[in-house]
Amino acid sequence: MTDRRHRLDELLRAKEGDAGCNAGEEILDAYVELELAGEDPARVFPGTAIHLQSCPGCKADHDGLLEAARRFGDLDLG
Amino acid sequence: VSAEPGQTGREMHDAESKGWVEQLRSGHPRHEQAVARLHGVLVRVAIHELSRRRWQLASIAGPEFDDLAQQAADDALMNVLRKLEEFRGLSRFTTWAYKFVIFEVSSKVARHAWRRQPPSSEELDWHELPDWLAPRPGDQLEQREQLEALSAAIGELTDRQREVFVAIALNDVPIDVLALRLGSNRNAVYKNLFDARRTLRSRLAAAGHALIEEDAIA
Repeated sequence: MTDRRHRLDELLRAKEGDAGCNAGEEILDAYVELELAGEDPARVFPGTAIHLQSCPGCKADHDGLLEAARRFGDLDLG
Repeated sequence: VSAEPGQTGREMHDAESKGWVEQLRSGHPRHEQAVARLHGVLVRVAIHELSRRRWQLASIAGPEFDDLAQQAADDALMNVLRKLEEFRGLSRFTTWAYKFVIFEVSSKVARHAWRRQPPSSEELDWHELPDWLAPRPGDQLEQREQLEALSAAIGELTDRQREVFVAIALNDVPIDVLALRLGSNRNAVYKNLFDARRTLRSRLAAAGHALIEEDAIA
């Protein structure tokens, strides 16, 4: 596949099984926790894994939460 | 777009998470301290997330930036306390709580961007393919025909699908900013985008220009 054809395929990405934004919002913390544990979240949440490849808004939220959980996750009660 | 099946993942219910939930309940002797400690870290998460999204905030100044972080943390804390009994332990408590501040930052950044720089009509109206997609002199006939078919198919989308596809896919308008422009929400706008993309793939395949084998079979 040429570079332009590949980019066109990305531009028009619409895979069956996409769970949508609302479903992902509900489980985003569990999704990120699986990633942090080195597991594959797509096995548990396949629809959200597909969705995150296509939705720029949810992808940004996911990336932010993953980074926050990595950076600030070890907060004890004090 | 179909809903995520009822998979729940594993339950974590670690001691630290249980401690957070217990101490955040009103009436607990350490309630005030726990709320203050959580709020403090929510502010730090908000500042970090706002910095990560700074490209959308244009010329926002120091005090306004800090105020935005404070508001996001305040609103997130309210949501955490209101939904405390809904925490099911599918993640650590902190990851669950941080989700609320990420969503607040996401929403506030979109509102800020929408007020400062709403999408222009150039970014919403269909004119032509962007430079990287436009036919070039050296293109083979097949490539030119594929791009011409795409161009024609974009013109045949419904008005809403075309507006959403042109803004998000071709002009990189943030989906939440577009949702505000349309008086809609992210999920509904994403559905429009998904339908537009699926229609365009299908039109290309019908015209003999499938992008991948799977499209051709469909």
